Amino acid sequence: MYELKICHLYPDILNLYGDRGNIICMQKRMEWRGIKAEVTGISVGDALNYDDYDIFFIGGGQDFEQGVLLKDLADGKAKAIRAAVEEEKVFLAICGGYQMLGSYYKTWDGKQCDFIGALDLYTVGHKDRMIGNYMYQCSEEDGGIVVVGFENHSGKTYLGDKVRPMGKVLSGNGNNGEDGTEGARYKNVFATYSHGSLLPKNPKLADYILKTALKRKYPNINLEELDDTFENNAHDYMEHRLSPK
Amino acid sequence: MNRGILCAIIAIMKIKTFLAVAACKLSRFMLRKLGKGGTNVPGRVALAIDPKLLGVLAKNVTTIIVTGTNGKTTTSRMIEKCLSDSGCKYFANKSGANMLSGITAEFAMNSTLGGKNKYEYALVECDEAAFKTVSKYVDAKCVVVTNVFRDQLDRYGEITHTLNSILTGIKNSPNAVVCLNADDSLSVSMKDEISNKVVFYGVESEIYKNRVHEVSDAPYCIKCKSEYVYDYVTYGHLGGFRCPKCGYHRPKAEVTVEKVIESTADSSTILLKFGGSEYTATINLPGGYNIYNATATVAAGYVLGFKADVIINALNSFECGFGRMEKFTVNETDIRMILIKNPAGCNQVLNFLSNLTRPALFIVALNDRYADGTDISWIWDVDFEKLNSISDMLTGVWVTGRRADEMAMRFKYAGLPVEKIKVIKDYDRLIKEAVLQKNPVYMMPTYTAMLDIREKFSKDYGFKEFWE
Repeated sequence: MYELKICHLYPDILNLYGDRGNIICMQKRMEWRGIKAEVTGISVGDALNYDDYDIFFIGGGQDFEQGVLLKDLADGKAKAIRAAVEEEKVFLAICGGYQMLGSYYKTWDGKQCDFIGALDLYTVGHKDRMIGNYMYQCSEEDGGIVVVGFENHSGKTYLGDKVRPMGKVLSGNGNNGEDGTEGARYKNVFATYSHGSLLPKNPKLADYILKTALKRKYPNINLEELDDTFENNAHDYMEHRLSPK
Repeated sequence: MNRGILCAIIAIMKIKTFLAVAACKLSRFMLRKLGKGGTNVPGRVALAIDPKLLGVLAKNVTTIIVTGTNGKTTTSRMIEKCLSDSGCKYFANKSGANMLSGITAEFAMNSTLGGKNKYEYALVECDEAAFKTVSKYVDAKCVVVTNVFRDQLDRYGEITHTLNSILTGIKNSPNAVVCLNADDSLSVSMKDEISNKVVFYGVESEIYKNRVHEVSDAPYCIKCKSEYVYDYVTYGHLGGFRCPKCGYHRPKAEVTVEKVIESTADSSTILLKFGGSEYTATINLPGGYNIYNATATVAAGYVLGFKADVIINALNSFECGFGRMEKFTVNETDIRMILIKNPAGCNQVLNFLSNLTRPALFIVALNDRYADGTDISWIWDVDFEKLNSISDMLTGVWVTGRRADEMAMRFKYAGLPVEKIKVIKDYDRLIKEAVLQKNPVYMMPTYTAMLDIREKFSKDYGFKEFWE
């Protein structure tokens, strides 16, 4: 039996915006195909043996708990996460989790927090939040998938040379509301601002990420098609709403 | 200052008040003629003429403010029953318009054109974010905070932001006695920041045998960020919390539920203790969260000096508001409407529903307009998986509203049988099919979906409009 092991990082802290829907989605889409999915929550104080897992998921959270988190990252997890990224493990990181993979976060009044530094990008805080349904198109190499979701962030993220954007903004703000980019891709890392939850109503992206992880382990695997009527209806409704009339 | 000028200024202020109140009354009258609720526009008109109107209108009225994330409306209706049964002359913002404009309109409608209030008491349900503004104009005698949970993050931002709004509101109300939920570590944390007299209320033990799986909105100590330890949990992050590191803990409560004697599909019976005596009370609404609403009411009643028997009786005889387990009976079909708006509230509804013992149809109406919260991500934080434990009893799971497709998908991923999930976006068809059911129907709408569906109900089946 095929099997993927998913590591849910800080599930009790980074749990604010329904991002666990992504875990539910990955689990179900594997289960429906007879693939075993095992999810392990790893939080503050737990050891992280990154080699035990195939997919890492990091969701969004609130600022209040960030202090707890930064210390725990510095105590060893940041190093493990950097190594896992370099070894081409699959990552899905959303919003706060996405920002955390970057080098640092600078608040609007100039204070700097150092983050994991796994991705060549940084974030600068702003007073105004970028909030709303939004839409972007993944690059050609990732199949040009059109993604719909909900963004809610005050940080503006800027990408360095070593990463490429996950997609091009079609509607909404994306990374910073300035350069038309959204999210970041590096090796097998998928990082985006999209809540929603992201994966359920973007089944093509969900399968693309699952396939990336499965292929690493089982190079000849084929993912069977699922009946995505509900998923596509949810996707198409929002795509239609956000498309220029 | 010259006396003449002073008189002129006073006269101008009086004219301003007069114009603002008159404009408010007139626009409300015209909107109602058109068949609209008119709960917000008249207030906005009045505020445009006199931004500080509420300050004039709220003078000399004993005001009770009910705020917090969940349970404001139900708690307000229970307190209202205490007021009416005590023979107090009062008015209340019953329509659910709980922002500055709606509250101002309610005061204006109950004032003379000269701006003098006709009533002794005002019972005000107040939005948490609006509280910090409303409190600038109103000198409340009693402030009840129901609880602080994670709510529509697109509107309120983070949970600590909501807490700060409430704290500012209380600081603006130095003469108020404040009723705080002893089981809510977030609410309790305000105690040290304020100089008001505080009455804590709470539940002394668990209330559910079988609870949904839910993430805590406040797992870490608000003072020192260590993880809390709980002696017991009632629901969400509520319960007997204590911080092992800094010692911050649940305070002793003055008004308590000693135990839950019985809970059924229609009511709960509890043993209450306050003022040195014990009382058995039945709450005419089911669900553990209504036990908290009742306890908050008792705390307010205790502060305001109502008789114990009046308070206890109110819990069993109040008329529940506006989509809070509100019952519509059409032909033989009972339809209960239960508002949902955030994960904590929705999980409590599921705690109740998953204890049902008779077959039923569930309907979720999910909208994403401003008043609903434009971000519907929260449905993924709700433990809809819990419904699998009663899936034999579910005759169907229907979805409607602007985001019906997303909700259908949520039920699919919760593991419910796809053949039971039905998308009916057309409200006319939905209601027609719902009232043909032989079994009870539980309808869970978000705010604007509730307004829309209620309007259809009142048009088609003659139920009263929400502002009546």
